[in-house]
Amino acid sequence: MPESPRHPATPSPRHAAKLFVAAALARSYARVAWLFRSRSWMIQETVLPVLAVAAFAYSYQAMLDPRSNPEVAAQYTGLVVLGAAMTTFWLNVLWGMGAALYWERDSGNLELFVMSPAPMMGVLTGMALGGMTTTFVRATVIATAGVLLFDVPVNPTSWPLLGLVFFLTLTALYGLGMMFASVFLRWGREAWHLVNLLQEPVYLLTGTNFPVSAIFPKAVAAAATLIPLTAGMDAMRQVLFRTPGIFGVWEEVAALAVLSVIFLFTARWLLARLERRAREEGKLTVRWQ
Amino acid sequence: MREHLRTLRLAAWLGWQLETNWASPWLFAVYMVIKPVTGSLMLVCMFYAARYATNGRVPAEFLPYLYVSNACFGLVGTVTFGLSYAVVTDRERYRMLKYVYLSPVNFQTYFAGRGLARVAEGVVGGVLNIAVGLALFADMRRSLGGAGVDWPWLLVFLAVGVAMLWAAGMILAGACLNLSRNGMFLSEGISGVVYLLSGVVFPIAVLPVWVQWIGLGLPTTYWLEGMRRALMGPVPANVSALHGPLEAWTNADLALMLLATTAALVAFALWFWKWNERRAWQLGRLEENAGV
Repeated sequence: MPESPRHPATPSPRHAAKLFVAAALARSYARVAWLFRSRSWMIQETVLPVLAVAAFAYSYQAMLDPRSNPEVAAQYTGLVVLGAAMTTFWLNVLWGMGAALYWERDSGNLELFVMSPAPMMGVLTGMALGGMTTTFVRATVIATAGVLLFDVPVNPTSWPLLGLVFFLTLTALYGLGMMFASVFLRWGREAWHLVNLLQEPVYLLTGTNFPVSAIFPKAVAAAATLIPLTAGMDAMRQVLFRTPGIFGVWEEVAALAVLSVIFLFTARWLLARLERRAREEGKLTVRWQ
Repeated sequence: MREHLRTLRLAAWLGWQLETNWASPWLFAVYMVIKPVTGSLMLVCMFYAARYATNGRVPAEFLPYLYVSNACFGLVGTVTFGLSYAVVTDRERYRMLKYVYLSPVNFQTYFAGRGLARVAEGVVGGVLNIAVGLALFADMRRSLGGAGVDWPWLLVFLAVGVAMLWAAGMILAGACLNLSRNGMFLSEGISGVVYLLSGVVFPIAVLPVWVQWIGLGLPTTYWLEGMRRALMGPVPANVSALHGPLEAWTNADLALMLLATTAALVAFALWFWKWNERRAWQLGRLEENAGV
């Protein structure tokens, strides 16, 4: 039986792995190249969050009065700076991963991705790797600016532990982003609005600018750790600022590891299923919905 | 005049449909409430976190200050961002901008109509946001109910504020006509600058003095101060943490300054829009597509 794009012959595991890596690298290249080709965009993407950091940091300074509470004011400003840096990853997960396939469909690229022999999981992995790289640059600039502008003390209990928490947070977050990408594939304009809607409520639940454990009842805070950003930021705050957390750091590390595995496998399953549904419903090429 | 009104009405209707018809009315209503309310609740959580950290030494008046300011600022974001976003979506997404330009409608009136839809959305969102705050927090009820809402001044500040926001939106939308790639983020950027410099979530006295002067050059600073006073009355004398450089100004002073800065902004917006429209037409940017 001759090969066709709809029914390709099953590639050998070695060939499949090669194809996966090639697709991931090719897709991530486009995102990383953007970093160098669109410098003005990069500047505004780092300057805007710094403005938000400044507004919330000044808000805490007005409420906490750094002259009478210098340590508390520095600690809470640190929470805001960390929150702003980590928020850039959440925004990238939403707009750069979740809404990406929806945008690719609008610009006409999605049908090319699906027609090509490249595995869609490879394409999504490339989007995640490229997004992580560019967002890491943004987050570093924001964190550095915040630390320097507001004199935030950086003295973690353990750098390797901080690195581990950060790595696991990103893995879980981008796994969730891959799930979003699959789900949003079937939607039209509502995808844009849903991505918009997943900002403020998530900032609230994850405690972007405040310690969740100090405000929410334990049950709500525990439920919020299902969003990797909550567990990740809470663990990082414990390591960086020694604030009391929802759970212990190692428990949150374990939760992040479990979430990473669950999200990545669910994304793979969802992608296959929803791509099939989108083909059946003729939604892979529908634009301007 | 009749043609302008018809364009205004139809463009507002189109804008409203684009904003709302992606979901059922109930789902859209939930969307309208959740986004601004959760934004305000985050500030409420910051307030309680600060109280927790200082054993309750943060004045209770901070809560309504943050909440009301943020609810009012929602209008700034909705209107200014909405107008520039209308340019970007009409050109990049629906690819209709050049056809609108070719049609007999007045281009500027069309965008004013699109802005009206956003004003409606922003006002409804702001009112719902404050209603939720009143229902949930006793400090909000004390502040808004204590002095009582000053309705005449509220109407004055709202009316001048809408003109100011429309002018700011037209300036950004005009710039977007000639900015294909970065247009989407321009209004977000300006909105962020205004959020910081106008002291939305803190009294501007906290800022360094030279930054305070920049803030005092923005009409939004006077508008927010006026809206806060109309809704909650002046800041009590014993809460020095909330006092700012506009403390000694009367409502009439604020309204006059707002009117003067808004008049200047409207004049500049009209000229800037014409200049950008002509430039975009000459350079073929009305149909330029950057794939954003």
